[in-house]
Amino acid sequence: MLDKYLLFFTHDILANSTVIVTLLPIFIIIYRKAYVDPTFRLLLIYLIIKLVLDVMMFHFATFRINNLMLYNISVVVRYTLLSGMFLYKFENPLLKKIIIPLSIAFIIFSSWDIWISNPNIAHINEHRIVKYATTLEALLMILWTLIYFYELIRSLKIPSLLTFPFFWVCSGLLVYYSSLIFISPALNYSMRWETMFAIGYLDRVLYMFDIIIMLLFSLGTWVFSARFYARH
Amino acid sequence: MQDIEQMRWAILIGTLAMLMMAFFVIAFVLFYQKRRFAEEKKLSEIEKNHGRLLLDTALHSEENERRRIAQDLHDDIGTMLSLTKLSLNQLNKAMTDRDEKEELFMKKAQSLVEETILHVRRITRELVPTTLERFGLTEAIYEFIHKLAEGNTLSISFQPGTEELPRVGQKIELAVYRIMQELVNNAIKHANCTKIDVILEMNNQFIGLQVADNGIGFDPVTIKEQHLTGLGLLGIESRLAILHGTVQYSKSGNGGSTAKILIPIDTEILSGKPEPLHPFRRERVNI
Ligand SMILES: Nc1ncnc2c1ncn2[C@@H]1O[C@H](COP(=O)(O)OP(=O)(O)O)[C@@H](O)[C@H]1O
Ligand SMILES: [Mg+2]
Repeated sequence: MLDKYLLFFTHDILANSTVIVTLLPIFIIIYRKAYVDPTFRLLLIYLIIKLVLDVMMFHFATFRINNLMLYNISVVVRYTLLSGMFLYKFENPLLKKIIIPLSIAFIIFSSWDIWISNPNIAHINEHRIVKYATTLEALLMILWTLIYFYELIRSLKIPSLLTFPFFWVCSGLLVYYSSLIFISPALNYSMRWETMFAIGYLDRVLYMFDIIIMLLFSLGTWVFSARFYARH
Repeated sequence: MQDIEQMRWAILIGTLAMLMMAFFVIAFVLFYQKRRFAEEKKLSEIEKNHGRLLLDTALHSEENERRRIAQDLHDDIGTMLSLTKLSLNQLNKAMTDRDEKEELFMKKAQSLVEETILHVRRITRELVPTTLERFGLTEAIYEFIHKLAEGNTLSISFQPGTEELPRVGQKIELAVYRIMQELVNNAIKHANCTKIDVILEMNNQFIGLQVADNGIGFDPVTIKEQHLTGLGLLGIESRLAILHGTVQYSKSGNGGSTAKILIPIDTEILSGKPEPLHPFRRERVNI
């Protein structure tokens, strides 16, 4: 059993190490007690759910079971929780108000997307990745980060961005979703039992930025502690 | 096959463009924020300097106004009083045969005029510390304390640190003198004390003043919080702000309070244009 996992792991180290890298920000958030901040608490919840889903996907993949349903769920969870972080960060009350309704709308939209992407939804081996939801997610998240950066510049409240944790989190989000926005629509066609479109080396890009965003989250959490303790 | 390869390239190029955009945005935010902060800092510095200048001007015009009043008092009222005294004397001589009652009124009028002259002299001298300008801080403080101790059970001591204090700029001297005046007045007014010690120290970098009393003592923080600060303590602070000086209040061992003033002797401030400080050498101001 273990050797099966190990074999699967080593057959694509880059792709599978994205599972392990998730542990790093989780540990730092707990170790530095960053979860006292509601934003980072939400991030921690997301990371833990992501870890669980990733491990399950890894397990399914090892035993050649279609795990794309889990991927679709992870998209919904990812958008809802990560955009929820901006709820605590935006200053504009209007923006604060539309985040939750938009999340609900996004959940409905992705459910519909899962439904139309899977004509044969009962058949687990036929499961496919959503067609539009990831693109919409990427667009919205990029929009949120850009708006947040705009507010950050306008308000002039933070003297040094390099030691401001959420700046790094936002940078991670921006870079990650920028890498995702064009590749993700292709995933629907590539990740099928009878592949219609092999994206080939492009999936390397996805895995790389999966790791990069985790590193940026870790960096943000790391400076969080320094700043937090410096003030108390 | 060809199509798929082209499609991949398109996706890759699009992704790279997006990533470049992302990095550009992050770098822009970082640098722009940094620059805005530097600008903001500069601006607040300018504002602070401007505030200092305003305060300086306000205090400066206050001193000028005092001087003007003192001059007017001395020159106009003083002269008129002298003339009145002269006239009274002449009248006294002219009136040869008078009864006792007239004699009494005469004496009373003369002594009243005499007293008024003394009062005017005292007021003018208090308005403008002439001793300070002529003989420096040590003499001026000695004089001030001497006058206070007269007819008072209070004992006030003064220790000038070194024998011969060098003269520093008039601005600093005047500030130290006014601060000393306020602190001693406060001790007399509020502290209920029997003893006040004034210590003046100076080296070529700092001038230090310490006023200690053995009264009830006070906590400047609670006074500030309860908005009990009068003009006195505020005035001390604004005088010090102009000269980059500091004040520190503490409880002295015997229960009273001690105020310690420290003012750097800054040649830049001293080189400001010296004000002619001779109150009685009159330059008429034509309005
Ligand atoms: N030496 C002192 N001992 C006790 N209390 C003092 C002393 N100096 C100042 N205070 C307190 O600080 C308050 C503010 O003083 P000040 O600003 O000079 O205003 P003012 O003298 O006009 O009342 C006073 O009302 C008094 O309660
Ligand atoms: Mg007072």
